[in-house]
Amino acid sequence: MVRFKSRYLLCEVCVPDRSSLQLLEDRTIYNTLRAAVNRAHGDYGSALFNIGVIVKYLNAHTGVVLIRSRKKHYRLIWSALSFITCLENRGQKVQCFLNCLHVGGTIRTCQKFLVKYNRQQLHRMLPDCKTDAEKQEVRRAILSCSLSNVREEEADEDGSDDDGDEET
Amino acid sequence: MYFTLIYVFVDIPISCAVTFKFGYSTVAINYVVEPQQKKQEIPKPQNVSDIFDKFPVVQGKSSPVKVLNRLTIIASDASHFVSCNFDLVAVYPKTEKLFHAACMTFDVDIICIAVAEKQPFHFKRAPVNGAIDRGVFFETCYAAAIRDTTMRRYTIANAISLMEVCKGKNIIVSSGAERPLELRGPYDIANLGLLFSLSEGDAKAAVSTNCRSVLLHGETRATASGVVYTMKKPKTPQKQEEESPISKKAKTELA
Repeated sequence: MVRFKSRYLLCEVCVPDRSSLQLLEDRTIYNTLRAAVNRAHGDYGSALFNIGVIVKYLNAHTGVVLIRSRKKHYRLIWSALSFITCLENRGQKVQCFLNCLHVGGTIRTCQKFLVKYNRQQLHRMLPDCKTDAEKQEVRRAILSCSLSNVREEEADEDGSDDDGDEET
Repeated sequence: MYFTLIYVFVDIPISCAVTFKFGYSTVAINYVVEPQQKKQEIPKPQNVSDIFDKFPVVQGKSSPVKVLNRLTIIASDASHFVSCNFDLVAVYPKTEKLFHAACMTFDVDIICIAVAEKQPFHFKRAPVNGAIDRGVFFETCYAAAIRDTTMRRYTIANAISLMEVCKGKNIIVSSGAERPLELRGPYDIANLGLLFSLSEGDAKAAVSTNCRSVLLHGETRATASGVVYTMKKPKTPQKQEEESPISKKAKTELA
């Protein structure tokens, strides 16, 4: 059975200050990525980008991006990701870099990985929490991590995200 | 288990925090020395415990991270330095003779490949194979490629010409980062290795197992061929007096 196969690149946008993340849009990422692929791989890269690549998911609070591309060419697109140094959003240049967390064949596998990854990040945030209330928040968020609760858990992380900022 | 050998001049705690967030388990702080005269002093490395009060834990494991000190010597003259304060020693040869000498005779762990300029000399197979037999590694930095497009061309060109000669063995890829924003995760660097025409297994090894070999090489530099390892044992003053007659005895027995 011939199936249309694709690869999903799960990336995280890392910025020095989290407030500039709020203004992120998928069009921004798409345009920046297209420019980077053009610079790195020229016309061939631009052509490959046009046929298969699309930004499927973006979370402005945590900076997680899900990029989809064709299975044959995902390495080319991925190699251009590392060369991105800043994102341009409506005239504002934000210094950042994209860190690839996971490559999956389907959105569901990427979601599973994201749940595990978020749970690990919450664990790392726990010792950095300053008050008991924040610790309770984080613990509740960790316990509620599951695939069906993905949206709930992201909202919880948003609440406790402002506190443990030391890792970025 | 990912290692990175990173050059950091400013913002050391922040850059290291970013590296550990990526999942790297070892970081080496680089001190660059360019000797102008013959007997220039080597700067003493900052004690690692001064920078960090408490080492953060490796992501995914429970062991603390390692931070090492590393010295890079930009060699333009055939003078040799012995450095004991540094965990790793690297050399950056500028001429073909120095490259040959560094591969065959110098007591170093890493040989750096030019990234900011066109390689002034071609890599010959003889010294490169000699270096591989000795266990010396070749290093490429990727931060210059991120900063500037012309640097990118030089980096990729030099790296590919090296890969052609050494067939992907004994390569490590490290960041030459001067700011925390120039660092990249291990998967991304392994992918960059594909741009340098490394195979997938070699690219992953360049970030993990080869780096570990470099660390072991650096440790064994202080020992006798990796077999004998001397350690200073704290002695009490009473014992010292007792020990001297015994050692005298040993000498006469041998004689």
